[in-house]
Amino acid sequence: MNTRTAPLRRRLMSMVLLTSGVVLLVSTCASLAYEYLTYRQSALRHLATVGEVIANNSTAALAFDNVDDAKSILAGLRAEPHIGAGALYDRQGRLFATYPLLAEGIPAATGVSGPPERYHYRFEGGQLVGFQPVIENGRFLGLLYLRSDTRAIYDQLRLHGIIAALVILLSCLVAYLMSRNLQGQISAPILSLAETAKAISDRRDYSVRAAPVAGEELGLLTDAFNHMLTQIQEQHARVNSQLANLQLLQQITRAIGERQDLPSVFRVVIGSLEDSMPIDFGCVCLVEKDHLRITSLGPSSSHLAAVMQIAELQLLPIDGNGLGRCVRGELVYEPDVRQVPFPFPRRLAEANLRSAVIAPLAVENNVAGVLIAARRAEEAFSSSDCEFLRQLSEHVALASHQTQLYKALQQAYEDLRQSQHTVMQQERLRALGQMASGIAHDINNAISPISLYTESLLEREPGLSERARGYLTTIQRAIDDVASTVARMREFYRQREPQLLLMRIDMNGILQQVVDLTQARWRDVPLQRGVVVNLKKDMTADAVEVMGAEGEIRDALTNLIFNAVDAMPEGGTLTLRTRRVESPEPTDEVPPISQVHIEISDTGVGMDEETRRRCLEPFFTTKGERGTGLGLAMVYGMVQRHSAELKLESEPGRGTTFRLIFPSYAPALTEHVQVATPVLARRLRILLVDDDPLLIASMQVALEGDGHLVTATHGGQAGIDVFRAACKEPGHPFDLVITDLGMPHVDGRKVAAAIKSASTQTPVIMLTGWGHRLVAEDDIPPDVDRVLNKPPRMRELRVALAELTAAASDDSKGVANG
Amino acid sequence: MPLLRVAAVSRLLALLCCLGAVCVQAAGPGEYQVKAVFLFNFSQFVEWPAAALGPPDTPFSICILGEDRFGSELDATVRGESVQGHRFAVRRLRNVAELDSSCRILFIDDSASVQLGSIVGTLGERAILTVSDIDRSAEQGAIIQFATERNRLRLRINIAAARTAGLVLSSKLLRPAEIVGSEAHE
Repeated sequence: MNTRTAPLRRRLMSMVLLTSGVVLLVSTCASLAYEYLTYRQSALRHLATVGEVIANNSTAALAFDNVDDAKSILAGLRAEPHIGAGALYDRQGRLFATYPLLAEGIPAATGVSGPPERYHYRFEGGQLVGFQPVIENGRFLGLLYLRSDTRAIYDQLRLHGIIAALVILLSCLVAYLMSRNLQGQISAPILSLAETAKAISDRRDYSVRAAPVAGEELGLLTDAFNHMLTQIQEQHARVNSQLANLQLLQQITRAIGERQDLPSVFRVVIGSLEDSMPIDFGCVCLVEKDHLRITSLGPSSSHLAAVMQIAELQLLPIDGNGLGRCVRGELVYEPDVRQVPFPFPRRLAEANLRSAVIAPLAVENNVAGVLIAARRAEEAFSSSDCEFLRQLSEHVALASHQTQLYKALQQAYEDLRQSQHTVMQQERLRALGQMASGIAHDINNAISPISLYTESLLEREPGLSERARGYLTTIQRAIDDVASTVARMREFYRQREPQLLLMRIDMNGILQQVVDLTQARWRDVPLQRGVVVNLKKDMTADAVEVMGAEGEIRDALTNLIFNAVDAMPEGGTLTLRTRRVESPEPTDEVPPISQVHIEISDTGVGMDEETRRRCLEPFFTTKGERGTGLGLAMVYGMVQRHSAELKLESEPGRGTTFRLIFPSYAPALTEHVQVATPVLARRLRILLVDDDPLLIASMQVALEGDGHLVTATHGGQAGIDVFRAACKEPGHPFDLVITDLGMPHVDGRKVAAAIKSASTQTPVIMLTGWGHRLVAEDDIPPDVDRVLNKPPRMRELRVALAELTAAASDDSKGVANG
Repeated sequence: MPLLRVAAVSRLLALLCCLGAVCVQAAGPGEYQVKAVFLFNFSQFVEWPAAALGPPDTPFSICILGEDRFGSELDATVRGESVQGHRFAVRRLRNVAELDSSCRILFIDDSASVQLGSIVGTLGERAILTVSDIDRSAEQGAIIQFATERNRLRLRINIAAARTAGLVLSSKLLRPAEIVGSEAHE
């Protein structure tokens, strides 16, 4: 045994020895004292008894004066070695007999025959001496003297002392030997406890238990020690499990942090719980209105889910079975699901699961879903497990919230990117538009003479053959289409043309025109590939007239037919249908509204939801490089500009139907267009300023054909010079100025400004290949009275001349009168 | 050394006293003085049947048969004494016929030795302690015989005779005595 444990044993032994030694010493001393005290008394009594016997026996000897007998009686005192001497006296006090025969120190019997009670034994000089009367039948016969040696007493006491010392020694030896063994009963368990405690603190193994010991206090001590160990072990286990939970939480949190999509987050959460917590079944459900959708099942939970007949993406009703409580934000722990009479716990129980925790995934009191964890054992979730799941679910909820925010952010970013893309596209388009505008200007300039000459020929050459007139008419229509086509080149970025020229259009007629114009596309091209597209026309006999821009409607219908053909690469049927639909409920206040429906259907590939949703967006195309993504956007633009509706029915594989719904033609709306062309009563002196000789020539021809006097100048500066020169002459040099806008050095704006500064009353008409754009951008220069597009139409020109000169003459009259 | 001298002197004195005592005994109390005391002392060590003692006023008589050698010694010895309420009386008898019912102790003097046999026979079973100083009287039926041995009076006791007389002798009495049996019996 080591030194640490020795003192306990030694102390125990010395305690035992000391105690027993002291007890023995005290008891021996008490015994000796008692012995000493009682021995004197008993010695007295003993001597008295002996004396009594001797005296009694000596009566006859004294009575009959037999000294020998007396001596022999006294000789009996030999049996009492401590009685040193004895003597008998007769009734006269004479010495009768002695013991031993030659005894020394026998006193003379003086004063005898007194009363018997006077005789007694007493201690005298370390000896016990005394007289005793010898009496027979009340008759005093003599005296007996006895002397006892007290040395015997002290011998006795000494003997007792020696014996006591030996007993003490022996007892201490026995006590020592016994305590050597017996102290083990106390020290061994304590030492065992100490050893156990040391082992535990060394190895940190709290599962060690001290061996149970019988006995009240030590048993209690050992039990208390073991109980304490149990508690420490439990605490240790709890701390360890908390630590493990924390680590798991951290691990899961980190794993969550690395993921951005919800299913992946849920998968990693459930997977970690299954592996590390561990649980037998786990899933995450998200709230969808009144149901929970099973969003994620753990990889190991799948077979249990099969037993429970649930699967991912399945909807669970939120009944009052704990799912409801949880969805309201409570963490629900069912120690034994068999005790819960609701469907979902029943399902868990069917899969041999017994205990379950359902934790809400809540962010700021908003429960987005629940986390379900279950184990096969009953009451398998400790409070720390529940707490862990609660914390975890908070983390998961936060993560899912963040994921959603991230998604929203991503969406916003995507939208932004889309917007940026669109802006860039539009910017590109604007550049394209500017370029197109320049081209349009040139084209308009180029075709202006054609238009003017053709119009002049048709109006002023009655001798033209019918065929020539037909050709000229076609040329004029082609020129108009060219002009309108050029004008529409800018429509990509323009909402509505304020100067949209509305006309009364027969839809059946325009549809037929489009069919004719696109024949190459829907019949010839597919045929070359061996594909047949059948055309089915279903035209109503009712009047289907609308107010609209013919070119735009024609282009829109062309686009729709092209799309229909493109949607039928394997061939099919193209159906064109017109109908007139009366509004169903005409009342007194609301006049009957009739609508014109135009349908273009194909039996092609159709559109899916996504395409259907986005097909009207600019630059959205399914045709890859072949498409611009602008076709349907232009159609939609046309529809909006005409206050019409566009309906779309499509299904993948079944084909697509576009329905255009126009308000039917109403005569009142077009009255101002019906104004008859005013006839000019007088000849006007017109200054024509342009830099294009062909245009000057054609304009001159056209205006002079109407009887006006035209002074043509080449270039802006020349025009200004001519006008200023004319102003110095008396009278009205020019009634009106027509100037081109785009001219080198001095453009139409400067010309107009110069004219107005010279003569404010002189109207200025500006011709421009950018006319649409000028108007659209509210960019009509202040000095210009009217803007006319190139190519100029005689009809428009005449109206403008009539209106402006009438106003000018009114003004001049007003001034003259004034 | 006075202590030693005192001790020596006292030892010498003691020796002288002893010698004196022996001398006194030889010369001092006479033989019959001693016998008188003995006779009185027998009353202390012998038990008579209560019936034999008679009513209380009956004297306890010591009778002397034969020559009276006691003189006044015996009377002096028993004067004023009593046993069990009976006062002592001394009667001197000339013959055995004078023996009356109050006689408890009968001392037969040596002078009546010839009558001893008849006396014993006469007494029969009467509760009378017969004492005699006749030589070998104990063997002849006397209960107690005084015998002189080295100048000392010794007792010889016939227990059978005592039993015959219905007397109970104290064992203490027997202790210093010599026990003898009746010759008739032997």
